[in-house]
This record gives sequence, structure tokens and C-alpha cells, in this order.
Amino acid sequence: MKYRILFIALVFIGFWSCKPELNEFEAKKGSADFTTFVAGGNSLTAGFTDGALYKSAQEQSYVAILAKQFESVGRQGAFNIPMINSEDGVGTRGPALVTKMKMGFSTDCNGNTSLAPVMANPAVSQAELFQLLTTSVAATGPFHNLGVPGAKVTHLLAPGYGQLNPFYGRFMSSPTSSVVQELAATQPSFFTLWIGNNDVLGYAIGGGLGDVITPVEGAPGQGFAASYEAVVASFKQTATAGAVANIPDITSIPYFRTVPYNPVVFAEKDSLLINFINSQYAAYNAGMQSVGLPYRINFAVGANALVIEDNSMPIPEGVPIPKIRQMTNEELVLLSIPQDSLKCGGWGVAKAVPDQFILTQGEVANIKTAVSAFNQVIAYTAQTHNLALVDVNAFMQQAATGGVKFDGVTFTANFVTGNIFSTDGIHLTPQGNAVVANYFIDAINAKYNASVPKVVITDFSAVILP
Amino acid sequence: MKKTLLSIMFILGSSLMLWAGGYQVRLQGNKNTGMGLTGVGLNLGSSSVFFNPGALAMMQQKADFSLGASMILSNVAFEKSGTDYRSETESKPGTPFYAYGAGKINDRWTVGLGVYTPFGSSTTWPDDWAGKLLIKNISLQAIFFQPTVAFKVTDKIGIGAGFVYATGKVSIERGLNYSPTSQVALEGSAGNIGFNAGVYFQATEKLAIGVDYRSKVMMEVSGGTATFTLPESLYNTLPEKNEFDAELPLPANLDIGLSFKASEKLTLALELNWVMWSAYDSLKFTFKEKGELLNSSNPRKYKDNFIPRIGASYLVNDKLCVRLGGYYDPTPTDEEYFTPETVSLNTAAFTFGLSYMPVKNLSIDISYLQTIGLQSERSYKPDQFSGYYKTSASIPGLGISYQF
Repeated sequence: MKYRILFIALVFIGFWSCKPELNEFEAKKGSADFTTFVAGGNSLTAGFTDGALYKSAQEQSYVAILAKQFESVGRQGAFNIPMINSEDGVGTRGPALVTKMKMGFSTDCNGNTSLAPVMANPAVSQAELFQLLTTSVAATGPFHNLGVPGAKVTHLLAPGYGQLNPFYGRFMSSPTSSVVQELAATQPSFFTLWIGNNDVLGYAIGGGLGDVITPVEGAPGQGFAASYEAVVASFKQTATAGAVANIPDITSIPYFRTVPYNPVVFAEKDSLLINFINSQYAAYNAGMQSVGLPYRINFAVGANALVIEDNSMPIPEGVPIPKIRQMTNEELVLLSIPQDSLKCGGWGVAKAVPDQFILTQGEVANIKTAVSAFNQVIAYTAQTHNLALVDVNAFMQQAATGGVKFDGVTFTANFVTGNIFSTDGIHLTPQGNAVVANYFIDAINAKYNASVPKVVITDFSAVILP
Repeated sequence: MKKTLLSIMFILGSSLMLWAGGYQVRLQGNKNTGMGLTGVGLNLGSSSVFFNPGALAMMQQKADFSLGASMILSNVAFEKSGTDYRSETESKPGTPFYAYGAGKINDRWTVGLGVYTPFGSSTTWPDDWAGKLLIKNISLQAIFFQPTVAFKVTDKIGIGAGFVYATGKVSIERGLNYSPTSQVALEGSAGNIGFNAGVYFQATEKLAIGVDYRSKVMMEVSGGTATFTLPESLYNTLPEKNEFDAELPLPANLDIGLSFKASEKLTLALELNWVMWSAYDSLKFTFKEKGELLNSSNPRKYKDNFIPRIGASYLVNDKLCVRLGGYYDPTPTDEEYFTPETVSLNTAAFTFGLSYMPVKNLSIDISYLQTIGLQSERSYKPDQFSGYYKTSASIPGLGISYQF
């Protein structure tokens, strides 16, 4: 009898398996006050991606992610976003309005079909897109995400900027207000600011044409340094803590590194063609020799550099040599270059690639100089205002030179496959936003001795494939 | 464009891999389990086929049969470093079993046969958990068949050896980052041979010493099936069905132990197991198609470990024997190469057991093992995945043995 009881007791214990529990993480706000969080910035902050501003991307911007993570350290109320009420969204491409892009199949001039970004909904009319972009949502304000696609640091200070940029116009509180004036309605206790990209990107995306790099020096609203200081000071009127992020060098952005400088490949069997092409440039080469310039155009078996336009070439007045030359490996081809013109239109071989699709060595140098100067300003401002500095540039450099892994996801600067950048080659995927949010959290935790919980990368998606 | 896309996407750079828990399972005799899983210096009948074939030569009965199984009720809790994210496994109970028979041919020779499961595990994480790109779930079963002979050299020395044929099955599911539901499922079977040899020395009437060596068995999966669940557009380049080869070492063990009969009723056992885990340095997968994109070598960097064990049995009367024991099993894993497929932490455990003998020759053997949860922060560096792990296992076991 005694034994039977013991036996039953043993079996009973056997089925009782004590579940292990873990409770290591303790959220702490440290010396920061997260009660009211407001974010400033450009398209990256707005949640613009895949070439457009659209609903689910706005909800997964790195600042929307941060707002959620700040809840456990005292953030109160809703994080109000000027939502676009459309999953197809709206963006601009030149003068036209477009929906977002997605991965799909496109057939090129040679009849080859491959995976590539395509318009998510080509059926949406310009009128509908215009309506979407210009319908004011100001009545649903005030807003905590003040990210404005296209904004430069100088723009954030400009009264009436909403009349120039519909992405701000759609949520401006008055036609004469500036973006920083919107802060009066929310009185942030904590802020983040990631701005400055467009101050150099506008120039870079235009191939060095059409837009100018914001000068470092100059009054607020004109020079980068004074404008940056003024924007931060606006936030600091009420905020006691915050984080600012620096800007990535363009060489780590797929838009500038996906198309190689030497995509023209000839095999041995193409020798007749090569000879023909070279014969067409014989006069050019002879001309260059006669004026004592080192430029030569020559094609050979293997990978050949594109022939490009370069108006800065020092060809003497009146000498009838076209201002074209072959690219160097320090120069960049933009993702916007028409692929069919490259493949079938003779671009880069028979015809020089227009300057707007190329960043020449001089232009690349201008950009690098500006990015470096801007990042110095950002670091300096972070220091003087006692703010956390988020080194996004370092992360993207690391991604571009070998990759960075988190939670089993490999992040590189490669187009689409790199997981950071979306189908537009400039803006972030949800996974890219999650990683950037974690970098912000690391910097904030370190600066303010806080413990804001980070996010799980695999809770977010990369570029969705069909 | 397409080519670049795919070549970069399909480098499965990391851990496609395998079984759990320093995946050795020593629950190969319920009497032994009760005594802290000691056995090499003990002479407890036919379970010596596994613990020390040398002891089989010294078996007192003419024949001995035993049969039993355990139920591993284990859970793993996980908390991701720097986050408030927590998860836990949904593991189904594992059921290692054993069946042994041994009989004396004459005074010197004994033959035996064992069928037992010294390696195996199963771990099931939630489908969408934070580590899904490392592992979603894994299950391993290995069954060993071991015909054995033992020879009594002198009245004090017995030697024995068995030939091992091992057969096993493995299945693994791991997430892929191409879409939220992308994954690869691997299934395969493996078989190989090994041996088990031991010496048993009855030094004095009270003291016995045993040494046993079980060889490494390399489980080679050849032509396992790999099923990829991917976005439709990727099947053009990566086939949905593929075949893979992989191999996993089941490590060698060198066990040294002794038993001491303190009194007519009380027996004490001490043991040290040297488990040669360093055989498990990396896990490699080779795929039949698209190997240039899919093949991977994943570091595991296991190190040998030494497990001290202690056990005692007390014969209460001719119907009841009670047992107690414990051990400390330090993890063979490397701190920076710790994957959630094999949540093997430093583990301490206590055991108890009893045998009830309702009639002469028949024994009902009950055991219970409880691990004491130790928690650690660990990371798998190649994937930058780190967190706190805590494990707990309760293992009841039941068996019968019959001798004459």
C-alpha cells in the first residue's frame, strides 16, 4: 500500500514539469524623458519607401518603431502620423506622380524577362494621385512624425515651405508655417532628427546637375551648419533629450552602386565589332592627341567602361571634339539610367551616356566632401546639445564593405537583396527601418543610461518578392 | 540583375542545423538512471550491454532481460538580449527506450543484445519566433543495435565488447529571409557502425572498477530531401525539391567508474564520463542542385566535456530497493557558437528511483530525473543572435527486468 502511494506520487511528479522563466530585461528611461516624442527628418523619417509614401510603410518607419518601443519607458498618448490613406501611395518621378513600386517581372528590349521593380498599380490616374498627395490631413494633427519627403535641413526652417512641397503641404497647420513651427502644438520632451541627406542627395540624384549641395557656411535657412543648429534649437525649446543621426555616404547606397561603370562586355568572337567601334573613335583619339589631352576611347575583349558626356572636360574653345570620354572606376552610374538604352540603344558605346545619369570623379568628390562636412556638423551639434549621436554612416559603410548580420539576416548595400534598401535603392525596407531603430536605441541607451528595449529584426520584412 | 539577386540571396551563410542538448541521452537503464546515470562500475544485469560489456561477464544470473523507457519533459525559455522579447519551446516529450537481453553460455562466456537510444532530441520553437532564421524545429532519433560478447578472464576480471549498428532519422525546419513564410525543411536518415568495449575488475569483495569506451559513430545523411518554401518567382532558380548530404558525429565516450558495497544493503557508485564532443566542430551541408549557392559550413566548435556522477542504492528489504544520485554536465558548446537548435547549458541534476520486486526474479524499476535550471546569456556569433536561455527537464522513467 505504502509503495503504491509512493508510485502514484512519483508518476505525478513526472508529469509536473516546471516551466523555466526568464525576466532579465528591465525597461528604464534613465535620464531622458520620453513622455512626448516628436521626430523630425526627411523621407526616411516619413516612412517613404519603394518610391512613394504609403500607409504600411509609414506605420513601419524607424520613428514609428521607436515610438512603440518608448512606450515601456514612459511615452504617453498616440504617436500621430500624417497618414496617406492608400497602400499604393504616392511619389514623384520627375514631373509625374507615381504609386509605389514592388518587385515584379519586366521584359527588356532583348525579350528577356527578369525580376525587377515595377509600378505597384499603374492604373491609378495622375488626378487620383494628385488628390492623394494634396488632400490636407491637417485636421487630424498635431503630428509627432514631422518627416517631410524631399526636405533639406534648410527647408525645415522655411515659412510657407508647404506651398512648395506638397508632402509638407498636406499636413501643414497653416500656409505660412515652417516645419519647426509645428513643434509648438506638441511640445516634445524627447526628439529624434535625421536630416541632411537631401542637402547632398538632390545634387547626387541629378547626376550633379539641377540641384546644388547646401553650403556648410551661411545664415540659418541657407548654410548647413547654422540651419542644423537652428533646427536642433527649435526641438530643444521643450525637449530635454534627443538623438540625431548622421548621413550615409552615397557610395553605400544602392542607387549609386548597382550599375557598374564597365558593363559593356565583349568576347573574343566580337573582334570585328570591337574593331568597328574603335574605328569610329579613331578621329576622337587623334583629335585628343593633337590638343595634348590624355583622353582616349578604346574598346577591347572583356569589360569596358561606358562612354559618357562630361561638360567639364578642358577641351580648348573652337576645337571640334565632343566632350565625351570613358568612365573611370571612381565614377558612379545612377540607378535611374534607362536599362533598355544601355542594352539596346547603344548607350555607353555608340552614344555617350547623358551627364545626368553619371556622377563624375569631381562630382563624387564634391559629395564626399559635403557628407563629411555635414557629419562633422551633426556630431558637433550632438555634442554641444548633449544629444545621442546615431552613426548610421558607420553602419551603412560596414554593410557596404562586407555586410552586417542581425538575428540571422545579412544586411548589405546591395540593391533589393541587401535587405536594407527598398525597390527605389535609396529608402529603407521595414527590416532596414528596424535595424536603424535599434541603432537609435543603442545610442539613446548609452547616452541617457536608459534601457529602451530593442526590436526583433525578423518581426519585419525585407523586399517582398512575387 | 536576376543573377546577382539570386546569387546573393541564396548563400545560406549560417546554421542549418541539428539536434539539441548536447544531444547525448544516457537514460539507458532505469536502475542506472536512479543512481545518477552511473553504470560502468556497476553490475546491474543486462543494462551492462550499454554501460560496460565487461561487467556482463560477471553477471550472477543465468539470464537477464530488461526493458524500459523514459519520458523527457523539457522546456527552454529564451529572452533576446537587449529586448523584452521572450519565447519558449513547444517541445513534445522525447521517449528514449532500451531493451537488453543477456545470457550465460557457460561459466566464462556471456552473450547479449541491446537495442537502445543513446542520442536524440527534439526542439520546437514557435514558427515566427525571433530565431526562426537559425532554427524553427529539429528532431533527431538514433537507435543503436548492439550484439555483445563478454568473457570472464579470471574470477575478478571481465571483458566484453559489442558491435554497434546505428540508424537514425533527422528532420529540421529553418526560416529563410525571402518572405515571412519562406523556409527549408530537411529530412534524412543515416546509418553507420561503431563499437562498445569495456573491462570490469572486481578489485575486492566490496570494490569494483570499470572502464568503458564507446566509439564515435559518424551519422552520414546521404540524399536527404530538402523542400524549399519560397516566393514563386525564386523557384526558377532554386528548385523546390532538392537533395542534401550532411554528417553529424555521435561522439565517443570514455567512462571510468567504481562501485563500493558499503554494507550488505548500501552500494555507492562514482563515475567520470569523458565525452569527446570536440568531434563536432562544424556542420556542413552539401546540396545536389545549386550547391554553389546553398552549400554551407556552420561552425559549432564543441569541446570535450567531463561529467562527474555519483549514485547510491539501498536495499530496504527483499521487495524494495531505493536509489539516489546526481551529476553535473558542463556544456560542450562554445559561448559564441551557441545555437538555439542545441540548447545545451551547464546542467546539474538529481535523480532518484526504486525497484519493486513483487515476486522473485521480477523487478519493476522506476526512476525520476530533475535538472536544476541554470541560465546563461549565449550568442551565435555568425548570425549575431544572442539571448538568455534557461532550461528545465523532468524525466520520469519506467522499466521492468526479469532474471533467472
